[in-house]
Amino acid sequence: MSNSENKYWRGIEELEANPATLENISNEFSDKLPMEEILGDTEELSSNRRDFLKFFGFSVSAVALAACNKTPVKYAMPYINKPEEVTPGHALYYATTCGVYNEGFPVMAKVREGRPIKLDGNPESPLSQGAVNAAGQASILSLYDTNRIPHPIVDGSEVEDWAEVDKKVDGILKGASGDVYIVSRTVTSPVLQASIQKFMDTHNAKHVIYDPISYSGIRGANKESFGADVIPSYNFDKADVIVSFGADFLGTWISPTRFTADYSKNRVPTPENPDMSKHYQIESLLSLTGTNADYRYSIPASKQGKYLVSLYNMLSGAGGDLELPGNALKQIASELLAAKGKALVVSGSNDKSEQVIVNAINDLLGSYGSTINFSASMNISHFDEAAFDSFVNNAGKAGAIVLLDANPVYSYHNGAKLAEAMKNVPVITTAMVVDESSNGAVVHAPNNHTLESWDVYQPMNGHYVTSQPVISKVFNTRSAAESLRTWAGEKVAMGEDQASHQWVADYLTNDLGADANKAFHDGFVEKSTERVSSSFAGSISAASSSIASSYTESAGFDLALYQKVGVLDGSSALNPWCHELPDPVTKVTYDNYVSISRHDAETNGWEQGDIVKVSGNGAEIDALPLLIQPGQARGVVGIALGYGRSVQTNADNDLVDLGKNAYTFVQSSSSGTSYLAQNVTIEKVDSGYEFAQTQTHHMIEGRDYLREATIDEYKKDNAVRNEHKFETVSLWSDYDYSKGHHWAMAIDMNACTGCGSCVVSCHIENNVPVVGRKEVRRRRDMHWLRIDRYYSFQTDADETASVRVGPSNVDQEFKKGEWSTMENELAGLDKNSASGDEDYGHYDNVKVVHQPVMCQHCDHAPCETVCPVLATTHSSEGLNQMTYNRCIGTKYCGNNCPYKVRRFNWFRYNKNSKFDYHFNNELGRMVLNPDVTVRSRGVMEKCSFCVQNIQMAKLNAKIENRKLEDGDAQTACAKACPSNAIVFGDRNDPNSRIAKMYKNDRSYKMLEEVGTDPSVLYLTKIRNRKEEVQHS
Amino acid sequence: MSGSFYSNSTFVAIVILAIVLLLIAALMVYVLRHITSILKDKSGAEVEPGFFERNIKPKMDSWNPTIVTLLVIGLLVVVGAGYGSAYMATEIGVQQGYSPDQPINFPHTKHAGAMGIDCQYCHTTAGKSKHASIPSANTCMNCHKGAQLRDNYGGKVSPELMKLYESVGFDPETSTYDPDAETYPLKWVRIHNLPDLAYFNHSQHVTVGNVECQTCHGPIEEMEKVEQFSTLQMGWCVNCHRQRGIDVKNNKYYEDVHKEMKANKEHYVTVAQNGGLECSKCHY
Repeated sequence: MSNSENKYWRGIEELEANPATLENISNEFSDKLPMEEILGDTEELSSNRRDFLKFFGFSVSAVALAACNKTPVKYAMPYINKPEEVTPGHALYYATTCGVYNEGFPVMAKVREGRPIKLDGNPESPLSQGAVNAAGQASILSLYDTNRIPHPIVDGSEVEDWAEVDKKVDGILKGASGDVYIVSRTVTSPVLQASIQKFMDTHNAKHVIYDPISYSGIRGANKESFGADVIPSYNFDKADVIVSFGADFLGTWISPTRFTADYSKNRVPTPENPDMSKHYQIESLLSLTGTNADYRYSIPASKQGKYLVSLYNMLSGAGGDLELPGNALKQIASELLAAKGKALVVSGSNDKSEQVIVNAINDLLGSYGSTINFSASMNISHFDEAAFDSFVNNAGKAGAIVLLDANPVYSYHNGAKLAEAMKNVPVITTAMVVDESSNGAVVHAPNNHTLESWDVYQPMNGHYVTSQPVISKVFNTRSAAESLRTWAGEKVAMGEDQASHQWVADYLTNDLGADANKAFHDGFVEKSTERVSSSFAGSISAASSSIASSYTESAGFDLALYQKVGVLDGSSALNPWCHELPDPVTKVTYDNYVSISRHDAETNGWEQGDIVKVSGNGAEIDALPLLIQPGQARGVVGIALGYGRSVQTNADNDLVDLGKNAYTFVQSSSSGTSYLAQNVTIEKVDSGYEFAQTQTHHMIEGRDYLREATIDEYKKDNAVRNEHKFETVSLWSDYDYSKGHHWAMAIDMNACTGCGSCVVSCHIENNVPVVGRKEVRRRRDMHWLRIDRYYSFQTDADETASVRVGPSNVDQEFKKGEWSTMENELAGLDKNSASGDEDYGHYDNVKVVHQPVMCQHCDHAPCETVCPVLATTHSSEGLNQMTYNRCIGTKYCGNNCPYKVRRFNWFRYNKNSKFDYHFNNELGRMVLNPDVTVRSRGVMEKCSFCVQNIQMAKLNAKIENRKLEDGDAQTACAKACPSNAIVFGDRNDPNSRIAKMYKNDRSYKMLEEVGTDPSVLYLTKIRNRKEEVQHS
Repeated sequence: MSGSFYSNSTFVAIVILAIVLLLIAALMVYVLRHITSILKDKSGAEVEPGFFERNIKPKMDSWNPTIVTLLVIGLLVVVGAGYGSAYMATEIGVQQGYSPDQPINFPHTKHAGAMGIDCQYCHTTAGKSKHASIPSANTCMNCHKGAQLRDNYGGKVSPELMKLYESVGFDPETSTYDPDAETYPLKWVRIHNLPDLAYFNHSQHVTVGNVECQTCHGPIEEMEKVEQFSTLQMGWCVNCHRQRGIDVKNNKYYEDVHKEMKANKEHYVTVAQNGGLECSKCHY
């Protein structure tokens, strides 16, 4: 039963009713017992009574022997001197930073008995607004990474004493025959900057900045247009019309956590304020941002600049030569002009000329001072390509190179050349792991982890973020600032980073005039900044002619290089959480792939899973699997950066040798670094690769799980799509939940961007194991919370018929509405292939919905009635309880769950060397949450609504002799959500946010008609689109 | 609303009642038959041999008494052993009475008993956290910096106390700490161990529930050497949760529960009635 005519599908395999997929849908735990694998060749296998008796006897005696095991003696070791603030069993929260994206992202670290176990956003800082994105959440594991260098290394041998390191460095620097270079990522810490300066002064050294992802295009353009070499702040909350040309600002662009928080503020219509921003995305690959756009158009990446010029010309009244289908660009231009002062145009390109045009457009629209802020500029990158290129050319003649956490050999497009040059130069590195650049270093002087350091950062102009150690040093490391000053001849107090602390405190007190203790407590200091005037002085004609000249019509593909939400620029490549997180768009875990449009794949006769060779521009990737991605522009292939790392590792898991390094395709020219390669050839070399892709896992079969409407429909009727109320008859006598607490959750599908932050947060909070690629392929991923990503074809004939390149008879098929089974229904959607038309135009652009799904805590839970051992029961507070110690693993509950949210624990992931992730080493286990059981194999597990937090909140209220307040009990996902899409609370508390959600007309329950009475609400997705979604 | 089961005792009572009723029924049948046969006998009619006389008695006569006896004994052994092992299975891992040697022979009799020191003076976090925690050495040193227990050892420091001093690098002769001494934590043996699957929080019981330490840990103040007093089995937890009431009057958290009770003219609500037997109160 469906109350809207949108037909959703998760993947082409579902759409085309691939038999294997269909079988998997109906068999959640279909894997057969691997008897052949265990017993070997079954041909020769014969068992008889004697064998049976042997096995029987063996197992009985084994069990008997195992039972004789004595209870192990456990010890309790108290502190010698208990720190005053530490209460064993209690979590402490410290404001500090995590080092993902911009150095110095403000977070609150949850610390148990001296071990940080979770990072949440700092709620008071505008940069985080209480949330951290997926990679930031996961970054805590890098602290407990077994690949970290435990001691300094001098000449290949580990040393304990830092004096030896300093002696060696001194010798190197004194004997340096050429220039001494410091290579670092953009330094946002004034304390580190001062140390670098000191080192430079002493050794007459040069400082080169290297960032793997360059934003020099924006900076260069702003310098040209406004005389300010900065990356401005973009205020997506203040924009009513947002046009993004390939900028994945919700995923990876500049400051995604903050942008997501800001963006969603203006995306949630309410009865009082039924307006929301309108978001156009014009891009080549389907990005996370693109999936959230109201209107999305796919264009070839190489033509993006020309479209921008066209838009500028339309805005300035001259008429552009390029147009999107359906005269959409003209429409965009008129809407932008109408929203003057509340409009924002951004581009993800790193081409200076393109950014000049963007600046010109924004200047025309009066965005400066409203949606774009120059005074709060972002310090995330000061990378100067020209300076770095000249360093690379001279590196061979350098006297010594000091690498400060920079890894250019991996991510520089000509890393091989740099590596060759560095071979003959003594290299001193502060890297925490032996990476590509520090591989041959003479001295490894490992830096502290961010969570072990005192520091202050300025990620944004006027915003100083403080960092304090939340754990005593895990290894024998020393902060880079201390190392540099020691090497500069300064006498630095050794030991627990007293020196760093002093420098940071001094800086806070003397330079910022702040109270250092308060700054460390708050986690940040705000300083008023000077207003930067902005009058546009760029040359539009020069920019547009540069754009025109850089574009050449070519027969080959455009190769668009992009970052993934989890792996980023490669810095999270060693983090299993980042790989296990399905990509928000493709839902692929672990794998690195070449994405391609359906049209291009079909015309070339390629299939999903074909292995292809990608070559062009002097670079080549010999083999990567091909992934057909709906919504991707024709003539474009995409490869994610950050794979193909070769870090020295002692782990034997799926993160080793993962994917290929696509940085080799990065183009460097006088106008900057370009993440687009033109005229690339693709050649099929093999086939049959199986992706570890979760898109068709845990399918909810063809039922009505999603509701969406347009803004106009919403304005007419706030309860649009939710008009029909189901009347259900209950088999059970109803329990009265009106007393005490009744926990419930609401997920606003308008605010949710699908970023995956909640997934990782849940993974960390609840000790969910990492299962690895092979297990994901077998549909055994363990995430308690998944985000279902649904595609749907554009159904509005008037608007999209022309947008769509191919024929459009889908709508007609829709209207018939005669299909009885899901397969037929979806096969009908895929009309083109059925009729033999090979154009696949409707795949060029798709609409996307993200829907986070976790245990719905049904008050009439189907799982509870089928459990033979009462391992899953219901609590008086409305929680669906899972009792692992009672579970015998029949999986009946999972089979009876219409939401497919129960996960079966197939292995003892914490004691199985086949899963060589953090669960299997002493160091990695330090990140485990001590309040949550580490489940053993053979049991079911699922979302508990973070019952440990509920219980803790209740206990705290009891101890403090007060009532429980809204917000006391929070789930990990609600806390992590940057867009506040997830609301959790007690619906019996009339003042709680969740109680208000129950009154919200947009709220509905998933599969309400089944009568499960879930405790999770979803709020109808409202799109700021014109067309009416057809009703049946 | 976690499944409302018959409690153990109810179940046993029902079984016993059923057996008694069956016995009475059998007795009645027997009496009835006996009376009819007597009546028939009196009336002079020939007594027809009953089912038992006809079918079973002849066979029983041919049974070997040894085999029958062995069979009966065997049956008893099987039933007994089954019941015994089932009982023992529930006892696996139960360490009631566990009293291991500790690194220091710490006498609770002196501290908690003779001197009457409050438990939470040393176990400071029992009222605040899930762990009661073993006191850190600096807590011991609060008193033992001065109290050097030389009386019974001929003017020398007690050898047991010396172990503490060594661990913290304290020189009792000069009453000073040696800053260069290598300090180390004492390795106490944990007596009360709960499995990982059970979550227990001391503060919930000590501060909110006002449970005396002795309720679970027994007469600690009389223990020269501490031993595990309770079974720490789930049934033991549950029993207490069924019996103990909640102090709803003096805690604002329970305001609504209190109002409800007053409305219903109830004056006692147990932990169980307030959801204290639900699985996820302790298992997550």
